[in-house]
Amino acid sequence: MSTDDTSVPADRPTEEITVTVNGETVTTEVEPRHKLSDFLREHLGLRGVRVGCEHGVCGACTVLMDGDAVKSCLSYAVQADGAELETVEGLADDGSLHPIQQSFHEEHALQCGFCTSGFVMATKELLNENPDPDDEEIREGLADNICRCTGYQNIYEAVNRAADRMEDE
Amino acid sequence: MSGTQSPPEADVEERAGEAEFTGRGLERVEDHRILTGRAEYVHDVAPENCLHMALVRSMHAHADIVDIDVSAALEVPGCEAVLTAEDIKERYNPMPCGLNGFEEWSLADGKVRYVGEPVAAVVATDRYVAEDAVDAVVVDYETRDCVVDPRGALEDDVVVHEEFGSNVADREELVFGDVEGAFEDADRVVESSYSWGRISGVPLETAGVVAQYDDDADSFDIDCNIQLHTLVDDTVYETLGYGPDDVHLNVPADVGGSFGTKIAIHRYCCLAAMASQQLERPVKFVEDRIENLQGGDMHSSEREYEVKLAVDDDGTIRGLDVWFVDDFGAWPRYPVNQVLKPLSVVSNAYDIQDVRYEYELVLTNKTSQTAYRGFGVPSHIYALEMIVEEAARELGMDPDELRRRNLIAPDQMPYELPTKNIYDSGDFPEAFEEIQRIVDEHERCEGGLLDPEVVAAKREEGKYRGVRPTVHIEPGVSGSDWTDRQRSDRAELDDRDRDDVAELPEHLRAEVLADGTVKAYIATDTSGQGHQTLVSQLLADELGVLPSDIEVGYLDSVEAPTEYGTAASRMAVMLSGATAGLGRTLVENLEALAAREWDCGVAEVAYRDGRVERVDTGESLSLADLANRDADGEFVRASYDYEHPASQLEEFDEALSRKFPVYPTAAFAANAPIVEVDAKTGEVDILKFYSLRDCGTQLNPTIVEGQAHGGIAQGVGAALQEEFGYDDAGQPQAITLFDYKLPSIENVPEIKLEHTETPSPFTETGAKGTGEGGMIDGPAAIAASINAALEPLDVTVDQIPFTPNRVRERIRNSSVER
Ligand code: FES
Ligand code: FES
Repeated sequence: MSTDDTSVPADRPTEEITVTVNGETVTTEVEPRHKLSDFLREHLGLRGVRVGCEHGVCGACTVLMDGDAVKSCLSYAVQADGAELETVEGLADDGSLHPIQQSFHEEHALQCGFCTSGFVMATKELLNENPDPDDEEIREGLADNICRCTGYQNIYEAVNRAADRMEDE
Repeated sequence: MSGTQSPPEADVEERAGEAEFTGRGLERVEDHRILTGRAEYVHDVAPENCLHMALVRSMHAHADIVDIDVSAALEVPGCEAVLTAEDIKERYNPMPCGLNGFEEWSLADGKVRYVGEPVAAVVATDRYVAEDAVDAVVVDYETRDCVVDPRGALEDDVVVHEEFGSNVADREELVFGDVEGAFEDADRVVESSYSWGRISGVPLETAGVVAQYDDDADSFDIDCNIQLHTLVDDTVYETLGYGPDDVHLNVPADVGGSFGTKIAIHRYCCLAAMASQQLERPVKFVEDRIENLQGGDMHSSEREYEVKLAVDDDGTIRGLDVWFVDDFGAWPRYPVNQVLKPLSVVSNAYDIQDVRYEYELVLTNKTSQTAYRGFGVPSHIYALEMIVEEAARELGMDPDELRRRNLIAPDQMPYELPTKNIYDSGDFPEAFEEIQRIVDEHERCEGGLLDPEVVAAKREEGKYRGVRPTVHIEPGVSGSDWTDRQRSDRAELDDRDRDDVAELPEHLRAEVLADGTVKAYIATDTSGQGHQTLVSQLLADELGVLPSDIEVGYLDSVEAPTEYGTAASRMAVMLSGATAGLGRTLVENLEALAAREWDCGVAEVAYRDGRVERVDTGESLSLADLANRDADGEFVRASYDYEHPASQLEEFDEALSRKFPVYPTAAFAANAPIVEVDAKTGEVDILKFYSLRDCGTQLNPTIVEGQAHGGIAQGVGAALQEEFGYDDAGQPQAITLFDYKLPSIENVPEIKLEHTETPSPFTETGAKGTGEGGMIDGPAAIAASINAALEPLDVTVDQIPFTPNRVRERIRNSSVER
């Protein structure tokens, strides 16, 4: 015979944080255990941040924190205090797609699209650091993201096309 | 309407004369909202005042529930309710089961049968609190012995369902032709065993549901990402004890993948709906990934095969004998299991007329099975290709030669299988030859991956390269009532005739709006296949307008007729057929309307390019003019139901009336993955994957190619790395994505696709359906190439997935010296 154990937190403390998300600064109270992914999705309404695993494998929740790609499901909102965050919502300029988004569209690099924000943000970091990656570098740059639909080939094409496009701009 | 389409794309805006949009690789209208983060998946649905549900799940594979104490959970601030089986049994019904004789409640009733089985549902103000309260529910279990091994389950030492009395939920032996004669007369009988592990679709989006009970109307609104929402809606309304019109299942326009698996998420819909009714507030449930992998009712077929082939010394295959046990897990999942569909491709691309097919469905203490891309066919094709290879070895014959000798010839088309399904069209020998030619030309040459010098040098390093081409059929477009064969009285099946057959057409409707644009509604759900694009592209041609003039939405389970929906690679065929029919109907309507306006005969008007013209005067009315002249919407609204392609054809009579699986299109592929096996580490690397594919008319080649890429990637995962393992105590071994290894960009090879187009003679547009291809044929193709690579070591693929440890073990046990 076995028994599930019980543990109930008595009260729920909060902390104040200030973050800049897609250029806008927000100061708010959050529970210390609130995941950054949930904070962005639920608190700030940025539903382009997707959660596919909540344990750091799939990369659907990837956002940029101070320019680096991070998995927002592996951070707590309080850890982002003072940081500058970018999500996929910050990319399109007045309705016209960012070159990375446009390239994903043209290369059919998305099907169900659940992984797509994560891939787009990981690509953004990759191209920031390496504007002209070869296939091996693309593979390394995107190895932290899973797509279950596309088989990746079109994602390579999209990254290449985005690199060309951004170089031209 | 959810799922608003993208702003018009400049490059698709020209209707260049007669040029058609159909057949062009138009970019998808779904993309814009997804790429900008504005798509609304069910995870995003967040009505005001919404409560959140979390589940208490069994930690044991098999145990009696002695007591559930929810008092501490109810003390957690923010916890609103805890439901157990006792609570729901008072008011609701058990969930429909996949076979007669079982009664499954939405929460475990008295006993748990697999790890992860939901035992109680907790509802609270947010998911964090709900999980706190889940931890506070105290369940006392009395554990039992469990049964995990499917062959062991046949012994019935431990029985999963005492009331049923046996672990064998169903068994059947089907004999076609003179199997006994074939096996007696043949020069030899080759036999072997193969196993296929538990894998599944594992879509990136987990299951989700938001249920709202409406007290005034005494009805439910349920947003969920269930697949086949118009077909399996009975799993929800029957469980709730309501009529079909009182439970609106609404699937968002964006669903993060399903691959068949989400057919089985009705439990969550029911529980959230029950909680919502009790609490009179919306209730949301989002499955987390661990729940999904462990107990989310999302695993797929797991099979042990014994296969025999009767062959003559000249390589003629005379007969096939297949026995297998399919591990169902704890419950026969609704609506249907996956053991029958392989009958529709029982001999794959080979001409074999004498076939015995026997299955045993067993219950074990594992998560229940659901559908997955290919619906039980991939493992069958794999076992068949492996026994063909075995025959070649025993005959001392080149496997290519053996295969060539037995392929169905083009002049045998349409080809009737002994199991009464029919392959519509195709030239398999030509595809087989072509893929060999491609490999020879690109890879067996100097500098190629299979340059004999390179292959020899690699072998010195312990790396074995090889390729072995294979041809595969991808049966498409299911749509008759065969799926309930196992719940029908088998004695009565022989007396059925064609009039007793229920067919499942596809419904599409549209209306012309006052501004001259068209709004179309699809009756089935989608999960990334681009259905909106397809309909706007095809309907644009029918109406002579631009795709951007057509907006496409979805109907919920009440608005839509009960149709079959997105499954079995149906949609290219069924939606394109429905679109063509709808277009014709609308054109006729609009001509009639114009004739009424001008008070002339219909013969005096003609529809052309988005307007109706009066032939004699040249006057014309645009779509907007016409819409404005039809206040009641009598003419500008139309709907169409496209019949399943086999419906009218006598050739399918026997299969249809006897409830054998009818898949009237045979898309096919010839594959040649080039593999390299590292004999030291056991790792299999696919260096390149050549695939020649034919899905009949390609309606949108970009989408076709995307489906092939995605299917092959899943085939790679299935062949080499994915598996839901269990230990002897029934504890699942893959409950995170660290353990269930989905292919990443590092695992999926470069895919080299070629296409041919052999239109189907049976379908409206010649399309054959292409959604399951690479998953159906990838594992068999990879396994054959591994066999070729490891031939010098006399190692063959007898188990899927062929993981590095399994490969190493086989190599170590091989009698061949390295
Ligand atoms: S949700 Fe964060 S990595 Fe999967
Ligand atoms: S597009 Fe579906 S997971 Fe990537």
